Amino acid sequence: MGLFVFLPLVLPLTAWPIARLAEQHLHPRTATRLLSGVGALLALCSTLCLALIMVVGTAQLPGNPLPDSWSDPEVREAVPYDGVAGRAAIPALAAVAVAAGHTLLRHRRVRRRAERALEGLPPSSVVVLPDEAPYAYALPGGRGPTRGRVVASAGMLARLDSRERRALFAHERAHLAAGHHRHLLAARLAARVNPFLRPLDTAVVYCAERWADEEAAGAIGSRRVMARAVGKAAMASRGAPSAAPTGFATGPVPRRVAALLGPVPPARTWPPAFTAAGVALWTAAAGAAASALSSANSAVALFLVLKAATPL
Amino acid sequence: MDDRGTAGSLPAGGGRRRGQGELEAQVLSVLRTAPGPVTAAWVQKHLPGALAYTTVMTILSRLRAKNAVTRQRDGRSFAWEATADQAGLAALRMRRVLDGERDREAVLTSFVTSLSREDEQVLRELLDHANVDHADVDHADVDHADDGPAE
Repeated sequence: MGLFVFLPLVLPLTAWPIARLAEQHLHPRTATRLLSGVGALLALCSTLCLALIMVVGTAQLPGNPLPDSWSDPEVREAVPYDGVAGRAAIPALAAVAVAAGHTLLRHRRVRRRAERALEGLPPSSVVVLPDEAPYAYALPGGRGPTRGRVVASAGMLARLDSRERRALFAHERAHLAAGHHRHLLAARLAARVNPFLRPLDTAVVYCAERWADEEAAGAIGSRRVMARAVGKAAMASRGAPSAAPTGFATGPVPRRVAALLGPVPPARTWPPAFTAAGVALWTAAAGAAASALSSANSAVALFLVLKAATPL
Repeated sequence: MDDRGTAGSLPAGGGRRRGQGELEAQVLSVLRTAPGPVTAAWVQKHLPGALAYTTVMTILSRLRAKNAVTRQRDGRSFAWEATADQAGLAALRMRRVLDGERDREAVLTSFVTSLSREDEQVLRELLDHANVDHADVDHADVDHADDGPAE
């Protein structure tokens, strides 16, 4: 087969330009869905690729549990540098498993702890906590009337006027209604599985916020009030000095406010091919498709090779 | 005291298994109906269901660690008093989650994230600008002042 079996491992490098272009040129809804989908697909492909390399590369090591015939020269020919690649794939796969497991466990733990914190309160979709510190969150999950709750501190609400409060609640409800936590989790997992996908994670976080901003602006009928709510809330929560290095690119909050003060993003889902947005989409689609095909191809080829080598 | 991994560690004193947060809330609400500082035995007597005394003590200590109750020595035992209400307790617990978890963004989608100093400057200018614009159009047409610059 040749070097292209390694392709799914490096193709996620295309994530960087894709994330940049999609973030800037696509409607946030399209961008969120596209980027989290592409991220999940590329992460799956690269993990599959690692697993296959490991199987082939380690079959000839003494004491392995795999069938002896899998270490035949014909099989090893399928993967270039099979010995080195196979041995390197073992720790890589272990790291992937640990990282993914860790992310999932942490996700569950935060969710459980947050749910537990609200136990004993009357079941309602909005919870206002008597806390001076300004914060507001959407907490997904749960059943019945507490299915997806918006949690806001009194400190946060006190800093906003009534229209801005409506904007805040509309924003958090938009997160819950669209199930953004799933997109965020998919992107986060993908970034843990293949570090090249990290730009996609950052972009999905930003696009999901933009999506909720636009939904909420539509619901309350004012993009300017939405912008003010985001701006004032950010100013209120700025207490802790941010770890962001100085001179870095403008952070997500000012970009959200600027986007809300600017024109409405076009709602078209698939822009024409010869615009920057079109290029972004097509590159993303092509990259993901190539990665998927290459992984599928490697998988099928390796499967056939292994099957041929297995005495029945 | 640590409410991370100890979810199931409560003594099984009360028939039906209740969540730890729920128990804390119940003990707190009983304590709030008390005429003044009361003993743990008083709390145990007034709680619905049959909870073991040790369970009540565990929960009271947990609440104390969260600054939701105080205690003072009263003869040979302690007298307990609520300092927070149910919502206050929830707020204390939520703060611990927010302060304790670094990587929580994927679960709790926060309304806003932190600002760098440059961000703050940019944001201030944006908002000032928006407010000036808004004041201008306010006189003309409030309802349609929000559609952004026409493109």
